[in-house]
Amino acid sequence: MLEIGLILRALMRNKIGALLIALQIALTLAIMVNAIFMIQDRNQQMLRESGLDETNTFYLTNTIFGNDYNNKVHLQTDLHAIRNTPGIIDAIQINAIPLSGGGWSMALQHEPGDDKDTIGSAVYMVDDHALNALGVELIAGENFTAQDIQWREEGTSKWPPKTIITKAFAEQLYPDNWQLAIGKTFYISQTQPIQIIGVMKALQAPWNGWTGVERSMLVPFQMESKNSRYFIRTEPGRRDEMMPIIEKLLAESDKERIIRRVTTLEETRKRSYRQQNATNKILTTVIITLTLITGFGIVGLAIFSINRRTKQIGTRRALGATQWQVMRYFMVENFMISAIGVIIGVIGAIAINMWLVSTFSLSPISFDLILFGVISLFFVGQLAVLYPARRAAKISPATATRTV
Amino acid sequence: MLVMKNINKIFQTEDIQTHALRDFNLTVNEGDFLSVTGPSGSGKTTFLNIAGLLETYTNGDFLLDGKDVGSLNDNGRSKMRNEKIGFVFQSFNLIPDLNLFDNVDVPLRYRGFNAKERKERIEANLERVGLASRMKHLPSQLSGGQQQRVAIARALATDPRFLLADEPTGNLDSEMAKGVMSLLEEINQQGTTIIMVTHDAELAQRATRTIQVKDGRVSELEIVSAQAIA
Repeated sequence: MLEIGLILRALMRNKIGALLIALQIALTLAIMVNAIFMIQDRNQQMLRESGLDETNTFYLTNTIFGNDYNNKVHLQTDLHAIRNTPGIIDAIQINAIPLSGGGWSMALQHEPGDDKDTIGSAVYMVDDHALNALGVELIAGENFTAQDIQWREEGTSKWPPKTIITKAFAEQLYPDNWQLAIGKTFYISQTQPIQIIGVMKALQAPWNGWTGVERSMLVPFQMESKNSRYFIRTEPGRRDEMMPIIEKLLAESDKERIIRRVTTLEETRKRSYRQQNATNKILTTVIITLTLITGFGIVGLAIFSINRRTKQIGTRRALGATQWQVMRYFMVENFMISAIGVIIGVIGAIAINMWLVSTFSLSPISFDLILFGVISLFFVGQLAVLYPARRAAKISPATATRTV
Repeated sequence: MLVMKNINKIFQTEDIQTHALRDFNLTVNEGDFLSVTGPSGSGKTTFLNIAGLLETYTNGDFLLDGKDVGSLNDNGRSKMRNEKIGFVFQSFNLIPDLNLFDNVDVPLRYRGFNAKERKERIEANLERVGLASRMKHLPSQLSGGQQQRVAIARALATDPRFLLADEPTGNLDSEMAKGVMSLLEEINQQGTTIIMVTHDAELAQRATRTIQVKDGRVSELEIVSAQAIA
């Protein structure tokens, strides 16, 4: 017999301590569940695929300081040299790096005009080697040809007439059937027509926190600039080996420039999600700390309660309670306190989540997560009370006849 | 029947060895009302604790209702306490957070009786001690004498063969003490064997047998006739 009625009636006459622990459990549950929810949300963000061949790509910055320099020739020479280096699959000049935090964005609209609805997208200026160099997959349409590539002069606002967009972008343009986007002409910079000639499976924008991070477009532009980035893809497993080779190749081919920031995509991803990682660590620490505090609170209350009831426990033993029955009494008592805390906590967790959903546009918390929180708190409660309960069970029945 | 032969109880600390009972021999027959007297520290409570299976003994033989107590483990002793022994303590030892009904219910739950039987036993025993009308009261709402009556009802609820009382009137005034003693006598007359530890020589005289414990031994054994009490 679990003595539930007796325990409940006894608890009702000593509410304060039990209620405080129940509230602590409730608060822990509410915070724990929402913190895990936030961690999961961040983890999902971090696990999104960039669309790139991340393990085999790197990039560098080429800064020219020499005068009388033909940037166009120089770019073609560099790319030719890199592409022909054994171990290299392909290389391009690019204006921005996915997940790096800095880049370009433009908007497309169905009709020309300054009062039309637009959909924003990251813009990558690349040549016809982009798909191969980035390692992105073309799932519909076609790639740029060498003839499509235009030189973009600094300060110009003119855009090339063709683009390749991501599937996520196409779905935004044509929610019912993204394939309808192929061949369609949209307008960039309000009035300039641009035709979608291809759709890529995925290519993330430079900004991981942007809601449109999956929307990107390639435009066939090469930039005549003294500061340009080269994006290079190596044969599988040869990235680390090729990075110094390419750096040396470029540096030695021309002394009037600086090759810097030779960086892998993996490093960029890591840096990009540094804040999310740090936040997750903080949230994890909060969860562990709160759970420990609650656990210690339960231990403290149980020990206090046992010390206060030493004679009572001795009397119960004298009346025939076995050690297990005494232990079970405290475990059931703790379970009931936890149950009260958990009920309040579940309500609190849902309330906090509703606020998070409305304030930060997060998705609603899942039932599984609440269930996990409930089971965890019950487990922590039972674990925490185990030692005090064992101590109580060891109280001698002879205590009943002693003056305690 | 309770039989103790050459029971010794030694309390051992790091430096000191205390002989609480020395070659303690005693037989308590069914239906006896035995009072145990003796000065403080003589070993009365140790004897009661061992007799009530609240404490183990160092060596000797102890048979309770024909069962060798020495062979029982902790669970076995708990079960035997619950089934065969009722306790009445000097300071009543009622659970302050539970009302009278629930207090009497405690040993019955350990026994595993169903709710219906428990209720019948609780009501019958509270009726027996004259407190049936107050079963929803808390112990703190009762006088000392009433609390001891509740403790007696709790002790009797499991129909024990032995009722062990440790200074049952020690915390009561003389009027209340008389009432409690009368109740114990009545219970004994109904067939329950009672062993009562007391300081009070006058109360001890009301038992059918009296022993005196001194330095851990039964130093004196006096048989009191039942007629003399009546």
